[in-house]
Amino acid sequence: MRRSRRHKALILGIVALLIVGSIPLRDHIRYERLVLGIRRPMPLTKIVDFDPTAITGVMIGAILGGFREIAASMLWVKVHTLWNEGKGTWLKCLNLMRAVTLLDPHWIEPWRTTAWHLAYNLYVETEDAEERAILLDKGISVLKEGISWNPEEDTLYVELGWTYFDKLDDYEQAAKWFRSCLQFEHPAYVDRLIAHAYERLPNIPKALDWYDYCLKRNPSDAIAKGAILTIRERYLEAWWLMEAGDYEASLAALERHLAVDPEDTIGLHLCGHIQEQAGNLEEALAAWQKAADNFVLDDLARRKVAELSVALGKPVPPVATHILRERHPEQMAPSRQVPRP
Amino acid sequence: MKAIWRIAKATFHEAWRRRFLNGILVFAILIIGSSWTFTYLQPGAELKMLIDTGLGAIRFFGMLIAIFLGVRLIPDELERQTIHTLLAKPVTRVQFMLGKFFGGLATVFTNVALMGITFFIVYAIKAPQFQNAAAEEGPTYSMQFMSANIAKAIGLCFFELAVLLSIAVLASILFSWILASIFSFFIYFVGQMADFLRELASPEHGADPISSIVFNVLYRILPHFEIFDIREKILLDDFVPWGLLRNVTAQAIIYVVVVLMLAYLFFNEREV
Repeated sequence: MRRSRRHKALILGIVALLIVGSIPLRDHIRYERLVLGIRRPMPLTKIVDFDPTAITGVMIGAILGGFREIAASMLWVKVHTLWNEGKGTWLKCLNLMRAVTLLDPHWIEPWRTTAWHLAYNLYVETEDAEERAILLDKGISVLKEGISWNPEEDTLYVELGWTYFDKLDDYEQAAKWFRSCLQFEHPAYVDRLIAHAYERLPNIPKALDWYDYCLKRNPSDAIAKGAILTIRERYLEAWWLMEAGDYEASLAALERHLAVDPEDTIGLHLCGHIQEQAGNLEEALAAWQKAADNFVLDDLARRKVAELSVALGKPVPPVATHILRERHPEQMAPSRQVPRP
Repeated sequence: MKAIWRIAKATFHEAWRRRFLNGILVFAILIIGSSWTFTYLQPGAELKMLIDTGLGAIRFFGMLIAIFLGVRLIPDELERQTIHTLLAKPVTRVQFMLGKFFGGLATVFTNVALMGITFFIVYAIKAPQFQNAAAEEGPTYSMQFMSANIAKAIGLCFFELAVLLSIAVLASILFSWILASIFSFFIYFVGQMADFLRELASPEHGADPISSIVFNVLYRILPHFEIFDIREKILLDDFVPWGLLRNVTAQAIIYVVVVLMLAYLFFNEREV
């Protein structure tokens, strides 16, 4: 009897010793997996503000273990069906989309489509600037999270760059994310988009540099050739004069071009920029306002109008990207300093 | 040693005569063999889908086989009362239990090997096609380490199932086979998310001291099944270091030894 007890105690002792002794090995494996980036997603730790539909989806996926990807694909089909049903199901769709991205974070399509629905399709469904700012914030956050899961996938960098370029008119951020693609084998249009972004900002020397880069990659790139000629002909002189501090001459040089094409977006942006540099905030506001009136989707101009209105103590028009920058400065490039009057 | 070998051999042959296990295997091979048909669900990510589905199926069906086999290994002998004949011979309980476990392990190994070979055949046929199709549409992707990584993943899957089999054997000694199956499924499910317990134990997530201790203990005791999953690296085509495989395998072996020792303790106490 005593022998049997001793025997049991010995086995239990060995068991305890093995469990405790293997703790450092377990921690080491955890650390190794973290360093190597092998850890699979842990959906439950990410569920904070989900509705039951999404939680059910994620739980089922976790139970299925190996079949998460198929579960994600099935949910994705459901998302499309629900989305096409219309407004009443959009919130449900967003939750399901989120569940899909958690179930299979290496599937690129859900990240792209979710961000697109947020920043584009739902954006146009509301007129409220505050709501639009929230949707833009969520859209770019989705893409950034997608990139964090898939840092070696160029598609999401292009998508994020394009959202900044096209939807937020934040050309500095757009150029930054497009430039991230250069580390991969990428399509030629990405190089041109960087140049376009600098042209619209405007940052004329950088735009020329990038068009030059496009030409070096592809000497028959007609778009880059045309853009270089246009920039030299229309904006370069005004830019150099502005850099030299001769604002009057700079504006006069630009005016010669605007007289021919008064609705040229880049020309109006440059005009506003020169006026800002010269400290003529009222005139800058007028130039940016003209650009904003000229093209309803020119969000950079509308944001500049809002910024200058703040600087001049005038009523600030509600602009989603301006609200976004105020609330989430980390999501957008810092504003070029508006000098005080 | 001879006794263990004989019991293991008999268990292995007997396992292959179990219809439900053969049914699961046939179904698994059919699913793995046709895994490429699911790839249309993720256009542009066909190779990823193929690998995820194939390896996922091996893990999933392997899990079913390990649990349903493990929970029947010893109870069947008890129900048929054949255990009395065996134990009347110069076979100790520990020899009997180890023989049963190793027989089950050999069955799991052959099942995983068959599923793995099926998957490799599908992979060898379809992967180059998907790579060529991707190359036509845009930049191509690397597959330098993919085959080796898939073999490593299948190897790790076997060790994962060895841990699960040992848990199923222990559960079958403690409970009826139905309860043992539920218990094993539960452990497998929780073990997949062992990291979550660590998060729950963290005071940052509002855990009070007692909950924190409970979750920490559970985190330390439960098997961490997620460590056997290296699909992230396969998809990125990064080399999976041998050091990691060695550590994970060592961890699995330690866990199996611990569970079998506990199983022996309970089996020794049990009336047969």
